[in-house]
Amino acid sequence: MDRKELENKIIELVAVSYNKQPSELSLETNFKNDLSGASIQMVALVAEIENELDAMIALQDAAACNTIGELVDAVEAEL
Amino acid sequence: MSVLDGIYAKAKANPQKVAFPEATNEKMMQAAYEAGREGCILPVLVGNAEEIRTLAKERGYEASAFTIADINEETEKARIIAEYVALPDTKLREKALGRRMQNPLYYAMAMQKIGEVSVTFAGIDNTTGDVLLAGQMMIGLAPGIQTVSSIGLCDIPGFEGSEGSLLAVGDSAVCTNPTSEQLADIAISACDTVKSLLSWEPRCAFVCYSTLGSGQGELIDKVTKALAIANEKRPDLAIDGEFQFDAAISREVAKKKVRRESKVAGKANVIIWPDLNVGNVGVKLIQQFGHADAYGPMLQGFNGIVCDCSRGAPVSEIKGNIVISAVRAAGMDKA
Repeated sequence: MDRKELENKIIELVAVSYNKQPSELSLETNFKNDLSGASIQMVALVAEIENELDAMIALQDAAACNTIGELVDAVEAEL
Repeated sequence: MSVLDGIYAKAKANPQKVAFPEATNEKMMQAAYEAGREGCILPVLVGNAEEIRTLAKERGYEASAFTIADINEETEKARIIAEYVALPDTKLREKALGRRMQNPLYYAMAMQKIGEVSVTFAGIDNTTGDVLLAGQMMIGLAPGIQTVSSIGLCDIPGFEGSEGSLLAVGDSAVCTNPTSEQLADIAISACDTVKSLLSWEPRCAFVCYSTLGSGQGELIDKVTKALAIANEKRPDLAIDGEFQFDAAISREVAKKKVRRESKVAGKANVIIWPDLNVGNVGVKLIQQFGHADAYGPMLQGFNGIVCDCSRGAPVSEIKGNIVISAVRAAGMDKA
């Protein structure tokens, strides 16, 4: 999976976990300011990443990402 | 009969299966053994069966006291995985679940989710963060709840409240600076917790430095908004505020300060702090000046009973928390 495919996949997974449309999201989308989700949504996202991409990201590492772009970086490092 | 004696009696009347994913830990194994031997629970030790059997023998425990769930037994593991992923609203699928279940904490919670045990009891080797993450991922949150929180039960000598010397307070341990939405969740979960554990009819008060508008400011706005959210989400529960602490628990003070009908004012049995600063200081004040025994913190908000005990806890305290969690699980089943 190249970087662009990974970015699209993670945007798709964020959309599912946070109940958004992928078109509303970008690499610059900020979890805290733009999505304002509860921690349970981040847990769901970590589980989806594990299911779909076979990458185990620690919740605290995912929660430390400010933007979707930073999360892509974290997942890419695990693949 | 003390509150803990009453809880032990309830546990013995309907012993629940409790999973121990940190079974090799000496204190945990001893607490599980004693709680099982006293008839309060049916202990299920989760991990490497050979290691558990060896340690149990070395420590002088009869093997018949425990059921052992071997995480290395592939047929059984496959069965649990198949049952788990067939459930609605579970987050992990086969491959990811199988990998997670190499960790006994996740294996135990998978067993709990499919109904083979009623409680997962951990926290002595795993961190609180590990337990909270596994609980959210494997057990999930209760319907309508988005926040994991905690309550404690205080037994305060000389206090004559609506439940005698007992008062439930929360959240004094998990949520640092809850939003209004989170405060509402804490109150709703707390009501459900005291119902399941103590069979109380909850009367829950949001407390802060104002009683019904006597003070103003953003700290109070947060609390009044939480009250509105909680009442809208769960109109069946008696949740009221905003009250000062004395107006919440003292009938005399409530008569003067609360000049409207309230099922809660003056007779609250559940207190919801506005944030962790207040909660932590409040519990310490109750303990230091009120010479109270404080039980907990009990985790709440999960769609099942998940427990995180203190890593420094002595065996007696661990055992008490095991029994409390088993009674909560039995109470949830009845609800």
